[in-house]
Amino acid sequence: MNAIDSVMAGLALVGNLQAVMSLAIGVVVGVIGGAIPGMSATMAVALTLPFTFAMPTIPALLLLLGVYKGGIFGGSIPAILIKTPGTPASSATILDGYPMAERGEAGRALGMALWASCTADLISNLALVLFAGWLASFAMNFGPPEFFTLILFSLTIIAGVSGESLLRGALSALLGLLLATIGLDLVYGTNRFTFGDPNMMGGLNFIAVLIGLFAIPEVLAMVLNPTGHLGKARSLGKNWVTFADYRRSFRSIVRGSVIGVVLGSIPGIGAAPSAFLSYSEARRTSKNKDNFGKGEVEGVAAAEAGNNGVAGATLIPLLALGVPGDVITAIIIGAFMVHGLQPGPMMFVTNIDIIYGLFIGLILSSFLLFVIGSAAIKGFKYVADIPRRLLIPGVLILCIYGVFAVNNNLFDVGVMFVMGWLGFLMMRYHVPASPFLIAFILGPLLEDNFRQAMLMSGGSPAILVRGPITWFFWALTAITLVAIIRAGFRAVQNGSPKIRPQQ
Amino acid sequence: MNAYTIQMRLGLTAIVASAFLLLIAIPNWVTSPSNVRNIVLSPTFWPYVLSGLTGLVGVGLVLAAFREAKDGPRFDEPVRDPRQAGIRLAIMTLIMLIITLGTASIGMVWMSMAAFIATAALVRTRHPVAAVICGILLPLALYAFFAHVASVAIPQGNLVRLP
Repeated sequence: MNAIDSVMAGLALVGNLQAVMSLAIGVVVGVIGGAIPGMSATMAVALTLPFTFAMPTIPALLLLLGVYKGGIFGGSIPAILIKTPGTPASSATILDGYPMAERGEAGRALGMALWASCTADLISNLALVLFAGWLASFAMNFGPPEFFTLILFSLTIIAGVSGESLLRGALSALLGLLLATIGLDLVYGTNRFTFGDPNMMGGLNFIAVLIGLFAIPEVLAMVLNPTGHLGKARSLGKNWVTFADYRRSFRSIVRGSVIGVVLGSIPGIGAAPSAFLSYSEARRTSKNKDNFGKGEVEGVAAAEAGNNGVAGATLIPLLALGVPGDVITAIIIGAFMVHGLQPGPMMFVTNIDIIYGLFIGLILSSFLLFVIGSAAIKGFKYVADIPRRLLIPGVLILCIYGVFAVNNNLFDVGVMFVMGWLGFLMMRYHVPASPFLIAFILGPLLEDNFRQAMLMSGGSPAILVRGPITWFFWALTAITLVAIIRAGFRAVQNGSPKIRPQQ
Repeated sequence: MNAYTIQMRLGLTAIVASAFLLLIAIPNWVTSPSNVRNIVLSPTFWPYVLSGLTGLVGVGLVLAAFREAKDGPRFDEPVRDPRQAGIRLAIMTLIMLIITLGTASIGMVWMSMAAFIATAALVRTRHPVAAVICGILLPLALYAFFAHVASVAIPQGNLVRLP
């Protein structure tokens, strides 16, 4: 299949009402999920996942990608209107968005957030289209040793940058890897931690683990402290964003988008660091740097471009290498698996029509985000009025139905509750959950590739340094570890806290 | 909890978990064939490596805790009434246990209704009427979707069967 044939095949998959409606509904659900403080884009994607099992492949994947895109933007709405980021990625938007809202310019801030988000989203999607195929063709040369070193590097960086402490991130990743060993052994088929229970032989259900880890802790946190309340939403004001505002902020938007693409394509970094880096770069180079933090529209643009620039780029390692770029793409892997797809370089050979269908759908999502986001800005007050103490029991019921629907198995519901308690304890002890989930997904791949490499070499570890690709990933792993440890020591010397109050 | 408490408790838990895995769990609950020629291919190799690393990380956390001030500032929001909060969490655990063990006989729809209303009461909702209405409608709507659209065999229980 040449490129034009691939595009036409992709268009045939996406060019129908069901696919477009799935994408639109996904964006709506995502914006609402992101806009409700206490929910998040991650939880919205996790809760939507079970609804996609009965859908055809492309609409199912587009629905989830729509939730992802909408969720990242949706988080900026409460950040600007009530100083409460709907998602961690929107924390940087508060810095200038809320002062603008206090000045009566909430509408202008939200408008700029939307324009910057859509622009960055489009740039990120184009980067995905340009680079994913190239990376996948490069990854066709990978054997088990190369994949082992790649996954090891991914886990190192995810454990190191997901939280405030390398040790707690590493502990989280190790717990995830340990949990992934439950089930029948990959080579010999013998039992590992199954306790003779047939339910355990296939390993723990991935969706039960992820919903337990990300949704149930919110239920338990609400039970622990039910009197958390929301701030007061502000009116949008009379001012709206103008094209002159957009043109003035355009350089910061493009810079933020590029930062988002670069950081998003590295597994594990995510949208929040990208938003803060984009914001600080915009402040450093702006003519109005003195206004930053006091309600500068360019600050809102930079922060939003930084966090939305990640959204397409996180799919580059997912589609090209089969390695999730962040926790949301880790959840989306579940949807691929349920529909019998294995993301990775071979997908560009065996399912190229689906790949191009996703590319076209993602580019379309940028335009849908603009239309739906405009409506969402005006409708936020209705979303903000949903009482959290009614929302949380609803989340619990959605979790029960969603997890049961995966395998028609109540054992999975029990696993979800156990994982929920584990996630709650991790939250209380400031242990990041993302490395746990990503390690749980990558654990079998890591072990499988390691053992395949050992089988190839007759047990000699020399195969793990057999060529330039493995050297490259070992070097990256070493550099990452040194950088994280040095940053940790510097933080201790400067007296900055290693544990921050949770947002 | 302050940074010292968090690091110390996590470190000690990791060390205990590592020791438990190395000494009890892996020898007893991971089966390895007797004809494995190379230790790195054994089903026990990977769990042993991960358990060992968990222990090392635990030691690292304990050492990191000693760098923190024992009476350092708290980093989490204090719960207003810890005893009441503990009771609420215990009741929530009971609700979860009943859902897991009782759904097959009572039915998922009825169990979900009860769970929604009980949880809403537990978090002291200020909208009890809305909670009851949502508690009835949401499980029914989810049943309609999963049973009739997604063709999932939702457990009906032995009480009242839905179409």
